[in-house]
This record gives sequence, C-alpha cells and structure tokens, in this order.
Amino acid sequence: MALITLDRITVDFPVYNAKKRSLKSELIRRTVGGHIEAIDDSHVSVMALRDVSLTLRDGDRLGILGHNGAGKSTLLRVLSGVYEPPIGRVVIDGRISSLTDMMMGMDAEATGYENILLRSVFLGLSVKQAQANIGEIEDFTELGNFLKLPMRTYSSGMILRLAFAISTAVTPEILIMDELVSAGDAAFMSKAEARLNGLIGRTQILVLASHDLAMLHRLCNKAALMEEGQVRMVGPVDKVLAVYSGHA
Amino acid sequence: MTEFDIGLSDSPDRGPMPKPPTMAQHLKLARRDVSVGLTDWRVWLLLGMNDIRQRYRRSRLGQFWITLAMAIQIGTLGFLYSYLFHLPVAQYLPYLGTSFVVWGLLSSIILESCSVFIAAEGYLRQVPMPKSIYVHRMLVRNVVTFLHNLVIIPPLYLFFHVPVSATQLLALAGILVLLLNGIWVGLFLGTLCARFRDMPQIMVSLVQIAFYLTPVMYRRVQLPSKWQGLFALNPFQSFLDIVREPMLGSPPPLIAWEISGLITIVGFAVTAVFFSRFRARIVYWL
Repeated sequence: MALITLDRITVDFPVYNAKKRSLKSELIRRTVGGHIEAIDDSHVSVMALRDVSLTLRDGDRLGILGHNGAGKSTLLRVLSGVYEPPIGRVVIDGRISSLTDMMMGMDAEATGYENILLRSVFLGLSVKQAQANIGEIEDFTELGNFLKLPMRTYSSGMILRLAFAISTAVTPEILIMDELVSAGDAAFMSKAEARLNGLIGRTQILVLASHDLAMLHRLCNKAALMEEGQVRMVGPVDKVLAVYSGHA
Repeated sequence: MTEFDIGLSDSPDRGPMPKPPTMAQHLKLARRDVSVGLTDWRVWLLLGMNDIRQRYRRSRLGQFWITLAMAIQIGTLGFLYSYLFHLPVAQYLPYLGTSFVVWGLLSSIILESCSVFIAAEGYLRQVPMPKSIYVHRMLVRNVVTFLHNLVIIPPLYLFFHVPVSATQLLALAGILVLLLNGIWVGLFLGTLCARFRDMPQIMVSLVQIAFYLTPVMYRRVQLPSKWQGLFALNPFQSFLDIVREPMLGSPPPLIAWEISGLITIVGFAVTAVFFSRFRARIVYWL
C-alpha cells in the first residue's frame, strides 16, 4: 500500500546571490510566482509552497493545475522526496518513480547498454535488477546494434526512445510526472502511449502536473488547484476543472 | 483531504504553524543518509567508474594518461630538483615519486570534495538518493586515479634499488585512514561549498599553499631545525607521512599517527553536527 501525507508543509528558497535591492525590487514587481519575502536587507527568500496539506492513498490519480510559478513543480519535488520542507511533516510510503526528467543520469558518451544501467540506478533499481530489464528494453526500443554505440551517435528521436523505455521499464508504487511524456515518430508514439497507459494503470498513486485539461480529465480522478504556493482546492477532478476553467 | 474542500489552506482554525525538525531528527536522518549510502555501493561504484571512463573516453591511451602525466611530472621535477638540492638522483627520485603519488590522492580528495554536491546538481534536484553517495563516488574516482599512479612506483623502486620490506604493508593502513577521512571531508566541504560558492576557490589556494608548506618536494630535515618541530604539526604532513613513509620502507613517526587519528575523530564529530543540520538544505542551495 502506498501513501503520501503532507502535513502543513512550507518550502522557501533562499536567494543568496541577490544583488540586494535591485533584484529584490525586480522580483517583487513580477506578477506571477510565489510570494517573495524580504527577511532582512541582505536576505531575499522566495516562498514556493505555503502551508500545504495533502493526503494521497492507493487508487488516487491526482492532477495538479495552476499557472506558471504557482508551485506545481516544487510540490512535485516535495512529493518525490527531493525537497525536504524545512517546516511541516512529510510521509512518503512506497517506491517512487519521478519522470519529470527522463534523461536524468544518462551520459551521451556512454553506450546504450551502459546508459540502461546508469539511468536505472537513478530510478532506484539495483544493478542486478537493471540488468534483468535489458532484454525487454532491447525489444521495446528496436534500437538493435545501436545499443552498443555511444548515445551521441543517436538521433534525438532514438535517445528519447531509449530514455522512455528505461524510465517506464519498472512499475513504481508512486508515479510522478510533469506533463505527459511523449516519444518519437507516429508508429512509436502509439506503442509508447500503450506502454505509458499500462504503467499508469498499474501504479498505485499517480501525480501529474499539466496544463492539458482534457488529459487531466482522462487520466485523473482528483485534482488540486495551486495558486501562489498554496493548494486552493482539492477534490474530484470534474469540480476542480470546472472551477479552474471558470476563472482561468 | 478527500472531500471537496474549497477553503483556503491557511484558514485560521488550523492552529499554530508546525515546528521545524529538532536536532535529534536531523541527526537520525543524516545517519540514515550515510548508512543507506554505504549499502548502495553498486551505485557509487558505477558512478565513480563512469566518471573515469567519461574523462578518458575517445582517447587512445585512455585512463593511462593519468599514469603517463604523473610519470612525466615526476621525471622532470626529479632531475631538476635533485640538481637544485644537490641530491643524488637515485635517492631523490623515489622520494619525490612517492610523495607526488600520495599527495595527488590527498589533494584531489580535498579539491574534489568541494564539488561533490555542486556537480551532482542534476541528480540531487531529481532523485531522493542519499547524499553520501556522491561523496563515495568521488572517493571511487580518486582511488582509481591513485591506482593508476601507483603503477609508476614498482619500476621506480626497482630501478633505484629501494629495498622491499614488510613495513611497506603499513602503507595500506595509512591509505585506509586517508580514505576514511575523505568521507567527512567530502560531506563537510561538499555542503559548505554548495552554500558558499567562494569556498572552492579558497580551497584551491589553501591546497596550493599547503603543497609548499608541506615537505612534499623537500624533506623536513632540510628546514632550519627551529622550524622542524612546528612543521611536524602540519596535518597535511601527517596524512602524507602515514602513507609515504611506510612505502619508502620506514614506519611513520608516532606524531603522524597521533595527529591524523585526532583529526579523524574531530573531523567526524564536527561533520556529524554540521552535515545533519544542513543536509536537507543542500538541494535548495543548488
């Protein structure tokens, strides 16, 4: 059973290299984004999340909505365990896969096979588990002998195929995505879509941040609306989408 | 929050804001970071080896450039300084060679410690792996480099008739102490340098100065006798001596063991508090 609990968390970013007043006033003039708080003259801090609480259980498919800078990405990073909030309590129970950057850990100079190991390790797999996945990834990518060559010899479509295949080779208990991932040409796309849908179906908790309302409606059963670093609203996807479209 | 809830999340009836974590909680999380980091040895081994492979990929000699570059440096400086110091080459060259190989390990652990977290920014911002993994990765990289440099030593000793003895095995203990210290140095400097970006530059200067103030190219006995006692307290010298002296066939002076032992204990104690306190903040500083 997977479980995520955020209990009144607050996340703020110190901006140490701020050229005092000039940058501070520049930041404050911005209309989008979280709250910028001046702690004192030399210390600027951006409050990315403010007093957020959220509970996700098995079967929850949460869509995250909000304008740029509303705190969606920061929230995803808290949910994936990367940001430990200085204030508030976080409980994450379950193996997480964060597909916010599918290429993370890959190395252009390394061969396809080496990259399978490198990328898998960052998905939380042991080297042995990663090696067990090689056959399946070979089949899915259809890259054949290219897997023996350095990745820099690949076309961008081929790199995407490989990254996608490795990243989706394991089913996590908690799947976190920033916009839906897509890969390659038309033929591969339908294959990739089927694979991704299978993955989403098997995972216990899905968290998906997106601006694509139709897709959120299709994939999610819940939604959270973010505004200025706060969760304004959580509930069934229909209701939240209706409110969001109403005032967006 | 499963029901439809349209209220503001900071509505006043929710009581006071939660308190930040206590030091005990910080310490517990840091301990877990380090212990899980150690058990994930396949991960840091893979990353460290890939760093070496990446550095020398597409070059014909590959990682043996490490060996070659060091050999050229030792050869050139060995002949030049034996002339300048009026020392026989047969005596000076093995000493300088051993010094350089060990100093190379020591100094690059310190310098690369500064960038363990800065260089891992892409990873740290995406996956919640233990931070100590990036320190061990740096140590793997340096051990591999050291082993490549070590290749120079047997022919050097053979050619200049440095006697082989059981004392040389003591060098292994010295290397282990050196690497053990690499863990706290990596955690400490890595964290400090992630927060203060001037620190890496400061460390480059400090290590450069330490190189001149430590008997790496010269011997301590060449110094005026009133300074020798003071130089014996140099921690760089202690760590250098616990590896270099046994390699050359004599047990290291007791003071070298005492100082490096003391630094190991103090270093880990200070780092335990420092790293625990700031571990969670590192990713916010990147």
